[in-house]
Amino acid sequence: MRITQTMMARMFTGALRRQTQAMIVQQERIATQKRINRPSDDPAGAGRALSGRAALAGLEKYASGIQQGKSRLEFNEETLKLIGDLVRQARRTAEEKSAGGVSAEERALAATTIQEIADQVLQLANARWNGDYVFGGDRKDAAPFVRDEDGNVTYRGERGEFLIPLPGGGRVAVDADGRNYFQNAGAGGVNLFDALRDLVAGLENPDLAEGTVQIRAVIEPLERAEVQLRNKRAEVAPQAYRLQATGEHLARVRAAVQAAIGRDEDADVAQAIVELKNLEVAYESTLAAASRILQPSLVDFLR
Amino acid sequence: MTHLFGVLSTGTSALLTQQRAINVTGNNIANVNTPGYSRQRIGLETAIPVATAAGMMSFGVVARGIERVYDRFLGVQIQDAGSKSGRWEAQQAALERVEALLDENGGWGLQAALSDFFGSWHDLALKPTGEVERTVAAAAAGRLAEAVRGRAEALEGLRRELDTDIASAVEQVNRLALQVAELNGKIARAELGGEAANDYRDRRDQVLKELSGWIDIRSCEAADGQVSVAVAGGRPLVESGNTWALRVEPGGDGHGRILWPDLDGGTTDITDAVRGGRIGGTLAVRDERLVAYRERLDELARGLLEAVNDVHAAGYGADGTTGTALFTGTGAADLRLNPAVEGDPRLLAASATAAGVPGNAENAMRLLALRETPLLRGGTATFEEAAQGLVSLVGFDVQQARAQAQHEGDMLGFLENRREAVSGVSLDEEMVNLLKYQAAYQAAAKLVSLADDLLDSLMSMVR
Repeated sequence: MRITQTMMARMFTGALRRQTQAMIVQQERIATQKRINRPSDDPAGAGRALSGRAALAGLEKYASGIQQGKSRLEFNEETLKLIGDLVRQARRTAEEKSAGGVSAEERALAATTIQEIADQVLQLANARWNGDYVFGGDRKDAAPFVRDEDGNVTYRGERGEFLIPLPGGGRVAVDADGRNYFQNAGAGGVNLFDALRDLVAGLENPDLAEGTVQIRAVIEPLERAEVQLRNKRAEVAPQAYRLQATGEHLARVRAAVQAAIGRDEDADVAQAIVELKNLEVAYESTLAAASRILQPSLVDFLR
Repeated sequence: MTHLFGVLSTGTSALLTQQRAINVTGNNIANVNTPGYSRQRIGLETAIPVATAAGMMSFGVVARGIERVYDRFLGVQIQDAGSKSGRWEAQQAALERVEALLDENGGWGLQAALSDFFGSWHDLALKPTGEVERTVAAAAAGRLAEAVRGRAEALEGLRRELDTDIASAVEQVNRLALQVAELNGKIARAELGGEAANDYRDRRDQVLKELSGWIDIRSCEAADGQVSVAVAGGRPLVESGNTWALRVEPGGDGHGRILWPDLDGGTTDITDAVRGGRIGGTLAVRDERLVAYRERLDELARGLLEAVNDVHAAGYGADGTTGTALFTGTGAADLRLNPAVEGDPRLLAASATAAGVPGNAENAMRLLALRETPLLRGGTATFEEAAQGLVSLVGFDVQQARAQAQHEGDMLGFLENRREAVSGVSLDEEMVNLLKYQAAYQAAAKLVSLADDLLDSLMSMVR
């Protein structure tokens, strides 16, 4: 095969172009610290990295939702515990003041205490968390329990649950229907507000004997109200556990996904530098060879 | 034949012929870097021999002609490789622009918009009464619609840019066709006398090679040395001195179609028959790949318009309204957030029942569930997977075009090297030839001067 100067020049320019292109690729990897700088660098890897990032965005949302759910459950727990303490206090008062030999003054004094407890229970039943009424069901924008001048408390809320989305379409639903906590007399539950109202009425009754009967009638409902609240608190425990466990699982998955994205996307800088070095050597030797081979021709040796 | 004068005439013919050979060598050296130049060689022959007393003998040398050293099969192969290489180069360049358009790394990707969209419904499910959550969800839906629409617009814009590329490429084709026709005439006239029109042929080969880079051509040479060129499955572009000027006119979808003039004054649409050259590559991107990407975007948009809208319309907004579409439009190009929702985020239907307003989040949960439901690509891909699929698809296409362009470029380089091996000028070779012809010239001059001396001696004898 004949070899001409043009062929040699073309070969060298072609080789130099390929080498500089390869160097640019490695330089980009080192500069961006990424192995995939555009989808065509590795379409499958880029797809995996993208889906990893989508998964990560989803996981972060779930994690923050679970965080919110946990704090909501804690708020529920604290509120119900406080109400439970108040109810117990009311029951004890009822037991003490229904005994014989309690004066009308003592009962009147106790009545104001119980009235305050009733006020506080009402206030707690209308508690708000993150701007929403906690025990109003789906009706989160208005106080669910309203008391008229006769001391009767009515529920203005709705049925409804507080929903915490979990991965894979699951959910934790926290009962937000205040009736199930404090009323629901119809379904075998106790109307806590009525019990407190009746207790105040009994304590305020000027006919002490009649008052005693009234007060005694309230003790048993108050006990059941306490149990009702405890049961609702117990309902939350497995939900809290589920949120906790899912949250921990998500954290581990998140770390794994992040690592996978890194494996797909991140450049092995050490390797890139070594390759760049190799390319530099190749490039420089090509230049050196070109300067030695391209320059001389027969012309130099004639004369 | 008088022998002394015979020596003189032999010397003369040698002087003239070697000088011509030096001219040819000089021309080769001068054109060492001329693209498409084929080295020329002088054909030397002994002069017609005459009968002498000593037997048949020839007196001197004659130049038979100047021929170009050339492999005609390589010419056709180079055209073929040139049109393939041109096609993939154009395809690579156009697809790389698509890749930049659909960039997901910048954080403003389709996938990121989808993540934000579903994420905003996640927040809304946790707090359906939230003013902030509603505003954010409306904004995220608007951004998603904009991301889909923006990409559809960008793809359409790119198609229009490719239209311009194709129009100017067709002009190039017409210009080169005219040059081929012109050179055909020059070659035919020059070769009437039997001389090879070497330089015109080199020029024509060069023009044909350039032409094949623009469009796939079939060329064949007739006995009179004129080539005819056909495009798009055998429709003539050049025949001897005539050319068929291609035209570009907008077709039904507003994109340029390439028209070939019929003999009867009509035109034939040859767009789909053009497969090679830069025009072929640009057409493949414009009419196949970009259409396929657009179809993916449309599918995504339809998914939003159908599945998401269905779920959304079934729910109730914070103001109790139901049946509200979240997105409006018919496809990717006109996908928009429903202006009513944009103006009043309370319309976002988080509640599943009228009674549940405003705190019920059941419908938000349903919409959120669409995130993980495979609704697209025939029920195999979720929204986000479909967006990833599009990015991967473009990536694969660019990678393939790049590999093909590299391969076809190497192939073309290989063939051009073959051509160079046969037809290229080697300076060393020419220097050797130069020395050879110089020595021969010097010797011939010596011969003439010897004959002169001999004649001198002869004359002095007579005096």
